Amino acid sequence: MSGTSITVPFFSPDPFVADHDALLKIIYDLGTGPDQKLILGDRTAELERRLRRTTGAGDVVACGSGTGALTLALRALGVGAGDEVIVPAFCFPAVASTVAGLGGVPVFADVDPLTMTLDPNAAESAVTERTKAVMPAHLFTAMAAMPALTALARRHGLTIVEDAAVAQGAVLDGTPAGRWGDIGVFSFFPIKPFGGAGEGGVALTDEPELGRAMRMLRNHGQDGVHRFLHHRIGYNSRFDEVLAAFQLHRLPELTERLDRRARIAGYYTERFAPLREHGVVVPPADRNGRCAHTYALLLQRRDDLRTHLEERGVAAKVFYPVPLPRHPAFAHHASAGRVWPHAEYAGAHNLAVPLWPELTDGQVEQVADSVCDFFA
Amino acid sequence: MVADQLTAEIPFFTQRRSFDLRWEEMARQICEVLDRGEYSQGRKVAEFEAAIAAYTGAQHAIGVNNGTDALVLLLRAAGVGPGDEVIVPAFTFVASASAVALVGARPVFADIDPETYNLDPEAFDVTSRTRAVMPVHLFCQMADMDRLLSRTRRDGVPVLEDSAEAIGMRWNGVHAGLLGAGGVLSFFPTKTLGALGDAGMVLTDDPRIAERAAALRWHGRTAADPDVSGLAGVNSKMDGIQAAVLLAKLARLDEDIARRAVLADAYTERLRDTPGVLRLPTVKNGPPVFYVYLIEVERRDELVEHLRRDGIGTEVYYPTPLHLQPCFADLGHSRGEFPNAEAACGRTLALPLYPDLGIEDVDRVCASIRGFLTGRPS
Repeated sequence: MSGTSITVPFFSPDPFVADHDALLKIIYDLGTGPDQKLILGDRTAELERRLRRTTGAGDVVACGSGTGALTLALRALGVGAGDEVIVPAFCFPAVASTVAGLGGVPVFADVDPLTMTLDPNAAESAVTERTKAVMPAHLFTAMAAMPALTALARRHGLTIVEDAAVAQGAVLDGTPAGRWGDIGVFSFFPIKPFGGAGEGGVALTDEPELGRAMRMLRNHGQDGVHRFLHHRIGYNSRFDEVLAAFQLHRLPELTERLDRRARIAGYYTERFAPLREHGVVVPPADRNGRCAHTYALLLQRRDDLRTHLEERGVAAKVFYPVPLPRHPAFAHHASAGRVWPHAEYAGAHNLAVPLWPELTDGQVEQVADSVCDFFA
Repeated sequence: MVADQLTAEIPFFTQRRSFDLRWEEMARQICEVLDRGEYSQGRKVAEFEAAIAAYTGAQHAIGVNNGTDALVLLLRAAGVGPGDEVIVPAFTFVASASAVALVGARPVFADIDPETYNLDPEAFDVTSRTRAVMPVHLFCQMADMDRLLSRTRRDGVPVLEDSAEAIGMRWNGVHAGLLGAGGVLSFFPTKTLGALGDAGMVLTDDPRIAERAAALRWHGRTAADPDVSGLAGVNSKMDGIQAAVLLAKLARLDEDIARRAVLADAYTERLRDTPGVLRLPTVKNGPPVFYVYLIEVERRDELVEHLRRDGIGTEVYYPTPLHLQPCFADLGHSRGEFPNAEAACGRTLALPLYPDLGIEDVDRVCASIRGFLTGRPS
């Protein structure tokens, strides 16, 4: 490491820097308020209503985290012991651990070499008679190939859990992220597009029965009417009122924040387009199916670029260097003989540069300049 | 004024007054979370974990998202899984048993001591499939840990404590959760130490359990190797804001516990010898910590309705024993199998009990109860 100090951190040091006073007031008002229902109360219901309106989903169920939402989704769809769920080999571990946690089998399929999301052909060849669902995840700046995956699911009678944890606000062929699957999931982890002041997430569905099932499962299998009557083995995966009130406070600015992210990503793409002649994989410029969560490049000299950026005060990050089938937790699910060359390649060659809405234009230029002069 | 007092609501739980009184310290703690931008886990949670370790004497305190998750992580960290059986009392909150089911194991129910509502140490059989015994410490006291531990030691089966309600409870000086292989705490808002939302903790002196639980809460990863899941984990981190609120409250916990004891004594004094009151808290496994003041009464459900009309909130812990819950129907139990648990479910009633409560509130609750049970309006 050089002695240079980082002037552009990879994550926003404080995504809510302008909202501290509002958040403190929310906490005080809840603690001293007449309505001491601090979990799954009126504010949570209001947030669910507002998100139904903005996404057009028939039902939105707030729960403990994005990962928690994936588990509720899989349970609601009936995934259980021995059931296979096709998941991308290059991804955050939640897509595999949630399946394994239910006694199911995560079946790893390779990813597309450019978008790094689940490859529909690889997914198709992983289908067996035990396959119950497909769980694509949108990643970095790309939504997964939902039209092809939806067609695949229809052909084989499978359900889709759409991991849209990073893709809230993205739209593909006119359909928003989170609305393609039988159930879609957003995460409110602080650094996410609609990050919150703690852990939380939502599951979206148009199927009333699935919505009801997830509401029951998130709160110990209760039906919301008969207290302490437990219809199903459920979880505690609930949403706090502090978080709900804060999300409601932040919701009006969401579009603006997403636009800012998209503008930064667009600027990067414009600046980095010439690097394609150096063999760098740069996200495409079109807006269809684009999210602007994590801006990752694929390149041969990844580690050298990372060092170069750090010397210029820019923190960069490698995502998922080890494909999921090689994690000790999941290795026993990785069928012998199967390989995931694109997942391996992505793990060995991706590098993400800072992308968060509070970046100043100067910082954004500093990042772009630093990347470009590596190739000069 | 008098009329106001007579008609003012006495909710089952509120912290309006004490939250306001402690706001300065709370705001100071919360601002540290905000200024560092550490909303999930982070240094404030680590600080709270250290403070709970110091308060309880635990070698390891692992902050998680809620008490149920703490049970699931404790069971998994202790190696309980598919094919295993865990002994659980039939009278408790569902999580004691659903956590067992969630790790793929089978809860085997046992009856309770009718006076303490906790697991009867003689009421179960240990078999070759029994992987753990899970006593639950409910309301104001622990299960009889001397008799239980002498049994489990003889049978060579580990004890995992559902000590979710038991902060401040100690057995011969050892804090609840630390008498066996490990235990949990819940910081559900109404708890003796309550957050402003969900939060929980795993307590253990066993470094192996601690290490596994800490990895499991963070997708099976460790700080040393954050790119790889060693275990199929979950996301169960504690929010920094909750840790801040809890740290501020922990500083006054012993005061709160003392206040609860005063209120509990006031209830007992006023309700003693009331016709129709079948049982007041019977402390056998003390010293007590009154999280819940629970009585048994005749015509319980009518009394709940009467108190509600009188503006008094109550809770029924618990209306249905676990062996008769629909979610455990596949275990094939029927009514009559656990008579003490079933009897308790028909008669128990929890009265308002929290530091904000005044003695005059206790007076009003007791007068209302007496009025209903004796047929003479107060």
